[in-house]
Amino acid sequence: MLQQQLHREQTAVNNRCITKTALSLAVFLGYLSTSHAIDFDPNYSLILDGHYKSEKSALSEMDKGFGLGHVELSISSPIDDLFFGKLTAVLHTHDSKTEVEAEEAFIQTLALPGGLSARAGRFLSDFGYLNSQHTHADSFTERPAVYRALLGSHYFDDGVRVSYLMPTDIYWNIGAEAFSGKKMRADNIKDPDSVGVYNFFTKIGGDFNHEHSWQIGFNYLRNENGTSPWSRPAEFHAHNLHHKHHDEEEHHHHDHHEHNDDEEHHHDSHHEHHEKEHHHKQHGESLQHSDGNHNHHSNHHHGHDHHHCHKASYTGKDLYGVEAVWKWAPEGNYKYRHLSLSAEYLQARNITDNKTIKSSDDKHDGWYLSSVYQFAPQWATGIRYGEFNGLKFEDDHHHKHSLQETELMLSWSHSHFSTIRLQWTHQKGKGLEHINDNIITLQYVMSLGAHDAHQF
Amino acid sequence: MMRISFNTLFKPLINNEGISGRLFALGIIPALVFIPEATALNILTCEPEWKALAEQIAPHSKIYSATSALQDPHHIEARPGLIAKMRNADLAICSGADLEAGWLPLLQMKSANARIQNGKDGMFYAAEQIDTIGKLKNVNPTMGDVHPEGNPHFHLDPYRLMTVANALAERMAKIDPNHGESYRKNIKQFDEQWQKNIRKWEQEAKPLKGMQVVAYHTSFEYLFQWLGISMVGDLEPKPGLPPSGKHLSRLLKLAKNTRVDAVVYASYQDKSGAEWLSKQIGVPAIKLPMSINGNANDNNKSQTLTQLYDDLIDKLLKAAKSNG
Repeated sequence: MLQQQLHREQTAVNNRCITKTALSLAVFLGYLSTSHAIDFDPNYSLILDGHYKSEKSALSEMDKGFGLGHVELSISSPIDDLFFGKLTAVLHTHDSKTEVEAEEAFIQTLALPGGLSARAGRFLSDFGYLNSQHTHADSFTERPAVYRALLGSHYFDDGVRVSYLMPTDIYWNIGAEAFSGKKMRADNIKDPDSVGVYNFFTKIGGDFNHEHSWQIGFNYLRNENGTSPWSRPAEFHAHNLHHKHHDEEEHHHHDHHEHNDDEEHHHDSHHEHHEKEHHHKQHGESLQHSDGNHNHHSNHHHGHDHHHCHKASYTGKDLYGVEAVWKWAPEGNYKYRHLSLSAEYLQARNITDNKTIKSSDDKHDGWYLSSVYQFAPQWATGIRYGEFNGLKFEDDHHHKHSLQETELMLSWSHSHFSTIRLQWTHQKGKGLEHINDNIITLQYVMSLGAHDAHQF
Repeated sequence: MMRISFNTLFKPLINNEGISGRLFALGIIPALVFIPEATALNILTCEPEWKALAEQIAPHSKIYSATSALQDPHHIEARPGLIAKMRNADLAICSGADLEAGWLPLLQMKSANARIQNGKDGMFYAAEQIDTIGKLKNVNPTMGDVHPEGNPHFHLDPYRLMTVANALAERMAKIDPNHGESYRKNIKQFDEQWQKNIRKWEQEAKPLKGMQVVAYHTSFEYLFQWLGISMVGDLEPKPGLPPSGKHLSRLLKLAKNTRVDAVVYASYQDKSGAEWLSKQIGVPAIKLPMSINGNANDNNKSQTLTQLYDDLIDKLLKAAKSNG
């Protein structure tokens, strides 16, 4: 009985994108209660985050209606004079299922000499400006479209980081990270590298004077498993001859495509329909064999509702990012009024080994520009505009996806522990599910316990 | 490529950054340019009062204050500029008692500087040297922005300040024994002068005894206790929350039954509620410098700790007088 239970748990766990977390959390808490650590006085913080959303929206993890956002419990403490440790467990709810996953479980050095520091475990990558920040510190209900598409909203992973802070008057940090990269893998990738992602970043910043501060950053992320294969993995085809035939057919069909060489045609829904019909007719019998493939299709079409494991839906071998932030507060006094402007541009290259894609098309990219003004101690308003343009591949063809998003936000914070936010989102674009003209989201973000220090 | 664009974009800025900035602009890797400092210590202080104090004890040190008296030290951004300053600090001097909880831990971690981590001699918390007032045993979140470790604004109590100053001099001597003699000599001088000042201030401030004021929560609690001023009303409905209209009208009602001599607010606090209330009651609203250079318009008035205390007492006396 117990074994069955265990087995079931194990299977359930293995089916998730993040494994072991519920179990390891239990083990960790168990350890706390039985340990005899002296002076263990960690910071506990609990973030409660919930929302009501009027419509579904493209590339969104938030469903229509009432829902929970990033409910997170975190425990952090210096371990000794050399190490600091932190665990952040996040609760995800979707389709009446609730999952716990560890979003952070890392140790960080505190006393390496000469501005060096290292971090190991699971943590938020320092790629870009927003990514390393906690979502509860965000000014909008969701990350910009380009983040949702290229980084799976926020990219955290298992790996290591080494960074070095220059001993200059100006802030200048350089760093490198290596990650498993599971969440950044292209679909149908064959034989993935186990260390999939290498990220190199530099951030430079300072103060113009006591009222104005700035930061810029440059990022390069190498994703060894980021290029979408042209053809599906061999395992899919190995079963029978039908599949081989199918493959050839596809090649043939693809050539036909190229003759037309009409970009509109590539993402024409009629065409897509026809494509599927064709596929079904040709391989009616072998359809069961290609179940995985079929699933892939349906996943693709409803996919984003089920992407709760924060997997990047658009990938490439090379991901570049630039970021710029400027903040202003009268007299440098952030309590009463302050303005912040931030912008990022991300571009993924080498997105497929499909040689029929024109090299100028071989990219996903997107950007956002955001401005948030806190005009009174308790009130802030913000506007953000962002775009994303990407290609989505199916067996032998691709679709151009694009999204333009305008967001307006008004938030009220009773104290700095409680925020209620109203946001209007306007989406335009093509190729994506649930692009909606008007989406209203009402959200609360509340923090209990230790007040987390917020990054610049 | 990155370096080129960086240099062209930020050249004017770099030139303001002094020698190391210029070397940086020339493309020399600053990591290789460790110029031996003639100064004794590289110090970052969280608040300007500790900078002023450190200047008294270690005048030849390079001292930078992370905040000014016009900033609320509860709400500071862990800015890149501050992280860079923290990176090179031999000593960080902060009030502690959770005043900087929203930003100091991030500076400590991001600066990757082993010298200024908690528990190291390079991290000096003033609150650990003295007893704070207003310690709370049972804190719950409905109480607002309270400090369970007590009121962190103790720099306006001259006796506590003196205790902190002596402990600071000892700490400086410990991390920089080469200049230990000089720190001890300087603190002795400062101590003697400060004792004299305390006697002078207590004499001057006699008329303030029994004065009744409305003020923001805990900012001047030490000063008021020392001078015998009582705070009869709090502008904040709860610590950390701005004065609401409803709360202000409650204070107005209070003023009908209780004598209020002045409405007091600090250099970084919002004046609108205070000014409205003072007009309604018909008493002066006084803006008091919270720290060094807390007077935006007459900067020369509170540039040292002694001047700051002079100025505080002077402003309170004026308000007391104007009420006859």
